[in-house]
Amino acid sequence: MLQRTSSINHIKVDSLGISSVFQIGDSHRIQALSRALAVQREAEIFFDNEGNFASYPIFSEPIPLIPVTENVKMSQQNLNPFLKVGNIDIIGVSSSSVVHLGNTCHVSMEARIKHIRHLLTDKEQT
Amino acid sequence: MNFCVYNRDIQVGSIRVLGVSSSSLLMVGDAESIQLAATFDTPPESLIVGPFVPLGPE
Repeated sequence: MLQRTSSINHIKVDSLGISSVFQIGDSHRIQALSRALAVQREAEIFFDNEGNFASYPIFSEPIPLIPVTENVKMSQQNLNPFLKVGNIDIIGVSSSSVVHLGNTCHVSMEARIKHIRHLLTDKEQT
Repeated sequence: MNFCVYNRDIQVGSIRVLGVSSSSLLMVGDAESIQLAATFDTPPESLIVGPFVPLGPE
């Protein structure tokens, strides 16, 4: 079945980082996983070798997704085979994200984030 | 379920996005199946009050 063409007049992406993808063109399958330990500390202290994903269950527990049981038969008529976008302006693309201009078939992306707040005790204000 | 799609003119003037982050997708195009999942937790015990000790090593 013929697919549509995306035509973008102008796109601006300022920054693209931490295993992110900026794809112009079609693809077949997109699969992304991002795991993060978001630690916020009251003082600016950074350790180089800390944090262990295995010690937190959030990084291994399954994410419950309701299976699709409906039997859907889809038919598509592209009377106008163009997807027109005038201007796209993106400041940041980060942590396994994808900006995709074009068609694809299957997309499965997952993000797991553990937030930790580290405060000083009252008497130990540095 | 029969699902018939008739794609006529679709034209977006401008898209302005501050951030696309943590396994997100900004797509201009067709897709058969999209499955995005995210989990995060900030349980009470993740608030640590005390001396700065690094978390468990790698």
